[in-house]
Amino acid sequence: MSSDGARVGVDIGGTFTDLVTVTDGTLDVTKTSSTPDAPEVGVTEGLERTREATGIRFDDVGFFAHGTTVATNAVLEGDWAETALVTTEGFRDALEIGRQARPDIYDFQTEKPPTVVPRHRRYEVPERVDERGDVSTPLDEAAVRDVAARLAAADVSSVAVSLLFSYENDAHERRVREILESEGVEASVSLSSDVLPEIREYERTLTTTLNAALKPVMDRYLGNLESEIADLGIRSDLEIMQSNGGIITADVARTRPVNTLLSGPAAGVQGASYVAGLAGVEDLITMDMGGTSCDVSLVEGGDPMVATDVEVGEYPVNVPMIDVHTVGAGGGSIAWIDDGDALRVGPRSAGAEPGPICYGRGGTRPTITDAQLLLGRLNPDAFLSDELSVDVDRVEAIFERELADPLGKSVEAAAQGVLDVANASMERALRVVSVERGHDPRDFGLVAFGGAGPLHATALAAELDVPRVLVPRTAGVLSALGLLISDVLYDYSTSRVRSWEAVDPTDLRVTFDEFVARGREQLADENLSASQTRFERSVDLRYAGQSFELSVPVPEGPIDSQTKATIRDRFHARHRQRYGHAYEDEPVELVTLRTRARGVVETPDLRQDAVIGEVADAVAEERPVHFDGDVRDTRVYRRERLPTGAAFTGPAVVEGAESTVVVRPDQTVEVDEYGTLVVEVGQ
Amino acid sequence: MSDDPVVDPVTLEVTRNAAAAVCEEMNANLIRTGYSPNIKERRDCSCALFDADAEMIAQAENMPVHLGSMPFSVRAAVDRFPRESLAPGDAILLNDPFYGGAHLPDLTLVTPVYHDGELVAFTANRAHHADVGGSHAGSVSADSTEIYQEGLRIPPVKLFEAGEPNEAVFDMILSNVRTPDERRGDLRAQEAANETGRRRFAELAERYGTAELTAALEEIKNYSERRMRSEIESLPDGEYSFADVLDDDGAGTVDLPVEVALTIDGDEIRVDFAGTADQTAGPVNAVFAVTASATYYAVRCVTDPEIPPNHGCYRPVTIDAPEGSLVNPDPPAAVVGGNLETSQRVTDVVLGAFAEVVPERVVAGSQGTMNNVTFGGRDPRSDEPYAFYETQGGGFGGRAGKDGLDGVHVHMSNTMNTPAEVLETAYPLRVARYELRADSGGAGEFRGGLGLRRDITVRDHTATFSLLADRQTHRPYGLFGGGDGESGSAVRIDPDGDAERLPQKSTHALPPGTTVSIRTPGAGGYGDPSARSTAAIERDLRAGKLSVERAREAYGDAAIDEIGEPNTDPENGGERPDE
Repeated sequence: MSSDGARVGVDIGGTFTDLVTVTDGTLDVTKTSSTPDAPEVGVTEGLERTREATGIRFDDVGFFAHGTTVATNAVLEGDWAETALVTTEGFRDALEIGRQARPDIYDFQTEKPPTVVPRHRRYEVPERVDERGDVSTPLDEAAVRDVAARLAAADVSSVAVSLLFSYENDAHERRVREILESEGVEASVSLSSDVLPEIREYERTLTTTLNAALKPVMDRYLGNLESEIADLGIRSDLEIMQSNGGIITADVARTRPVNTLLSGPAAGVQGASYVAGLAGVEDLITMDMGGTSCDVSLVEGGDPMVATDVEVGEYPVNVPMIDVHTVGAGGGSIAWIDDGDALRVGPRSAGAEPGPICYGRGGTRPTITDAQLLLGRLNPDAFLSDELSVDVDRVEAIFERELADPLGKSVEAAAQGVLDVANASMERALRVVSVERGHDPRDFGLVAFGGAGPLHATALAAELDVPRVLVPRTAGVLSALGLLISDVLYDYSTSRVRSWEAVDPTDLRVTFDEFVARGREQLADENLSASQTRFERSVDLRYAGQSFELSVPVPEGPIDSQTKATIRDRFHARHRQRYGHAYEDEPVELVTLRTRARGVVETPDLRQDAVIGEVADAVAEERPVHFDGDVRDTRVYRRERLPTGAAFTGPAVVEGAESTVVVRPDQTVEVDEYGTLVVEVGQ
Repeated sequence: MSDDPVVDPVTLEVTRNAAAAVCEEMNANLIRTGYSPNIKERRDCSCALFDADAEMIAQAENMPVHLGSMPFSVRAAVDRFPRESLAPGDAILLNDPFYGGAHLPDLTLVTPVYHDGELVAFTANRAHHADVGGSHAGSVSADSTEIYQEGLRIPPVKLFEAGEPNEAVFDMILSNVRTPDERRGDLRAQEAANETGRRRFAELAERYGTAELTAALEEIKNYSERRMRSEIESLPDGEYSFADVLDDDGAGTVDLPVEVALTIDGDEIRVDFAGTADQTAGPVNAVFAVTASATYYAVRCVTDPEIPPNHGCYRPVTIDAPEGSLVNPDPPAAVVGGNLETSQRVTDVVLGAFAEVVPERVVAGSQGTMNNVTFGGRDPRSDEPYAFYETQGGGFGGRAGKDGLDGVHVHMSNTMNTPAEVLETAYPLRVARYELRADSGGAGEFRGGLGLRRDITVRDHTATFSLLADRQTHRPYGLFGGGDGESGSAVRIDPDGDAERLPQKSTHALPPGTTVSIRTPGAGGYGDPSARSTAAIERDLRAGKLSVERAREAYGDAAIDEIGEPNTDPENGGERPDE
C-alpha cells in the first residue's frame, strides 16, 4: 500500500455516494446520488464528476479506500448466497434455536430473523472436543465424506463449518475442510475457528454462516468495482473499511465480508475522531443524524469503543465492531399525537421520498426538519439545495392542523415540542453509549455530523452537560473522510477459559507471539514497513463465574507473573470504572486473548488555507429564531465566509453547504484552523 | 382529547422516555455486573421504577412473570417499612411469596430514592438466584409440599442500612444457601443496579424539581390507563370463559382444573378464576401476585402491547381469585412451580377466553411449561459444589396468519439458554443434543411451533437432578380447528442404553454417564389444517420438521400426493424420531 499521490475515499450511503479526495494537501468533496442496484455505477459517476471539478488525474491516485454497505444490505434483505453448514452431531438446530428467547415479549406477531442456513442444508458429523480442547470423540471422516457427496450434489456456493469448542482445538474443523476439498466440493469454506474463534456456539456459528453467505456477494461486488475503477485508469489497490474502524485489502474483505457490516458508520466515527483530535479533543461522543436515524458512539483517548456483541439486523454478529448505537430519530421522523394524547416522534419517517413537508415533494406529515424550519433554524430561501423548494405556509398549516390545534398550543410551541421529544430519544441513545457504559458525558466532546446532527447537538450537549460541541467542516461527508485517515487493522483472537491464577505466562506468550507473527506477515504483504507497524495485545477477563468480560490491555514486553499481576490490577480498575465496584479478593478468569495488528497510515494535512476577513462580513442576515419559547433576533452566518479564528456568541445560525449549525444563546463559537466550529456549551 | 392533562403532552413523552431510560440503565448494569449465568446469560431478572406511592412507573422488559408481580413486592416492602422508618442508603430485600414475593428463588431488592430529603421514588429489581437453600440444590424442588422445604424465606428486611450492608442479614442468608459466593455476588449486583437507578432518578428530580416530576409520573400512569381503557372500550362487551388443566401437582393429584370467566364491561375487564382447583399439596400453587402477573400479561398482549406498562395500565383490570385456591393459596403451601408452571396455565386460559373476543389477536396453546431442570453436586474438576438451573423453550402457538415460533420460551418466560460451551466449561455436564422436535407442532392452517429436545449427560460424578415440568399428559390446545401440540416428556438414559421415562415433577440421583433427555411440548395449531398451503407443508417436509406419515395424517393424502415424492423427502436426514 502506498500513500503517494492522490488519495480517494468513497462512501456509499442509502441516498448519496460521497467522495473525498486529497491532492497535494487540497481536500475536495463530491456528492452524487447512490445507485443501489449497482453501487459501483454511482462510484464511477462520482469519480467522473470529481475529475471534472478538480482535474484529478486517475493514474496519480495512490490510495483508494471504500466504505461499503453491500454486506449490510444483503443481511438486512436476506439476499445472500445459498449456504450449507457442517456442525457437531446433535447441534444442527443450534443456529435456528439461537438463544431461545423471542425477539419481542408482548408482540404475538414477533418473528426471529430468518435462519441463515435452511435446515435441510445443515449437516451433522459425529465428533467432539471438550472444553479443554481434548478430543473426546474422534472425527468420523466417513461421515464427512458422505456430507461432501451430498454437498457436491446440492446447489450451494458457500459452506460454513462450525464445531463445538473449535476455539480450543481447530483440528477437526481443518480436517473437515481438507476432506471437503479433496472430495471435490468447490464451494468456498469458512471455518468458525478462523472467522470467530470464541466461546458461545450460537454466536460463533451464526457469524460464520453469515460470513459464508456473504462471500459470493462481496466477491461479485468487489470484482465489479475493481474493474470499473481500473477502466477509469486508477491503478492503486482497492482498500475496504471494516466495522472495527480499520482498513483491509479487498482480497481480505472477500474472505471476511462479515467484518464489513458496519463499514460506513465505522468510517464516520473514524472521521469524527480524527477531526476532533485535530482540535485537541480525544474523548468524544459522535452523533451522525441523517434523514431516518441517528447513530451515536463513543471515542475514548482517540480510540473508538469496540464491542463484540453488536447486532446487525437482529443478528448478533460477534466480530469486533465500533460500538454504534442507532435510534430511529432523523430529520424525516414523523411527529404525531397518539391515542393517549402524548406527542410522539417516529419511528415512522418520511425518509428522503417524499421527505419532510418543506421539501415540497409531496410530504404531508409533520417532521423534525419541518419543526426546525418553523422555529427559524433553517432558511426557507436557501434550503438544503437549490433543487428543493419550500412552502412555509403549507408547513404551518399542517402543523396547526395535526399538532398545534390538538395540543392547544401555538404552531411554534408545537414545533418546539417536536424537538423536545426528538431530543429526549436522542438523549437516551447518548446515555446508552456513555452513562450505561460507565462514562461521564461531562468529560467528553460531542462531534455532530450528518445533515441534521448539527441542528440538534448544542441542545443535547446542554442537557447532558457536555462542555463542547464540534462541527467539522466536512460534516456531510465525514465517513468518506474517515476512509482517508484510518489505519490498517487486523484483529486476532481465541477463547481460553481458564483461571487467571493458573494460566502459565508462557502459554500467553506463545499465543500472542503467534498472533503477532500472523499480523506482521499480513502487514508486510501490504508493504507496510516495520516502523509503521504496531501490535496491541489484550485479554478479556471476568470474575470467575461471570459471563461478561472486560478487555484489558497487556503491557508491552515479555509476559511473566508480574505482568499477570499488573493485568489483573488493571482489570479490577476497569471493572470499578465501568460498574462502580470491584471485587479484589475474587478469582479472575481469562476468557479470550486478542491482538490487534495496526499498520499506521500517514494522514494528509487537512489544514485549509486561512480564510481572511471580518466575522461581520460572514453575516448573511438576521432573522428571528425560537429558543425554548423565546424569540431571539439571530445572526445567520455563511460558514465558508467565516474567517479562520473567528469567534462569536450565540444565538447564531451557521449555514453551510452540507449542514446548518444552531448555536444557542450565550454559547460561544470559534472557528479553528481546520475549519471546525468549536462551540463552548457553558452551563 | 377527552381528558385535560395537567402535564403537557411534550413533558409527558420526555419524562416517560427518561423514566424508561432509568430502568434500561439499571437493567444493563444488573446484567453486566450480575454474578451467576442465571442473570448474565439467561437474563432471569428485571428492573423497574416506582413512584413514592409504590406504584409502578416504568420497567425494563426481560421477564413477563416478574413485571406484573414486582409491584406486590414493592407494596409489601413499603407496608413493612413505612416511609418514616426508611432513610437514604436503605435497601429492602424480600422473597417471601406470602409477603410480596413470587417464589423463593426470586429475590427482590427495593431501594428508596430521596431528593432534598424527601422520599420521591423507589427503584426495584428482581433476580432469580440459582440456589436459596431448601431440600434440593437449585431450590426448584419438584416434591415439596410446604414452603419450608423450598428454601430460605425472607420477609422484607433491610439488606442495606444508610448505605452499609447489614452483615447479620447477609450472614443469615449466605449460611442457608449452597453457593454463598455466587449469591453474595448477585446480591451486590442487585444493589448496584438499584443504586444506578437511584442516582439517575435523583438527577431527574434535580432537573425537573420534585413537584413537576411527581406530576409527570402521575400523568405517565394516567396516559397508560387512558390508552388501555380505550383499547378495552373497543372490545365487545360480554362474558367469556375458558378452562384447561394442570397435569399434576407432583404429589399425587392429577388434572387440576384452571378456569376463568372474563367479563368485558365498557372500558373495564373483570377476570374471575372461580372454579379453579383448591390449593394443592405439590409445589404448583401460584400466589396471587403470580396469577395477577400472568393475567396482566395476557391482557397486554391482546390489547396494544405498545402501551407503556405501568400501574395505570392495570387499573381497568380487576382480578378475583378464590382464596385457598391453586391461584391464590394460603401459607404454608409449596409454591415454587406456581410461578413457573401454573402461571403458564393461567395465561393459557385467559388467552383461551380472549380467543372468542379477538380471534385474530390470540395464539393457540403454547408449550405451557418452562421445563425447569436443575443439576447439583460436586464438580470433580474443582471439588467445589455447584448448582445449575435452566429452563427450556418449546413451541409457541399458531397465530392468525403465521405459524408459531419453533423452540422459544413462551408467555411468562423469556430467558436465554445457556450455551453448551459455557455450560460444559462451568459445570461437569455435557450437552449431547440440542434440537427441534419434528412433528411436535399441532397441525393447522398455521401450525404450532415445534418443541425442543435437549440431552444432558452427567460427567464423572453423581448429580442430583430435579425436573419440574407440565404438559406431558394434556396437550397444548389448538384453536379454530387447529390440532393440539404434542406433549412433552423426559427420559433417563443409562450408560448401558436402558431408557426410562421420568415423572414430570421428580428428583433423582444420576450416576456418572447418565443422560437425561428433555423433550418439550410443541404448540397448538391455528385454523383448519385443510386450509394450510401446500407450499407451507412442502417447506416443513423438506426441512424435516414434518414427516410424510404425519403429514398424511394431518393434512390428508391428497395434499401430500399433490406435492409429490421428490419434494416430500427431507434432503438431509430428516426427522430423527425420539428414541
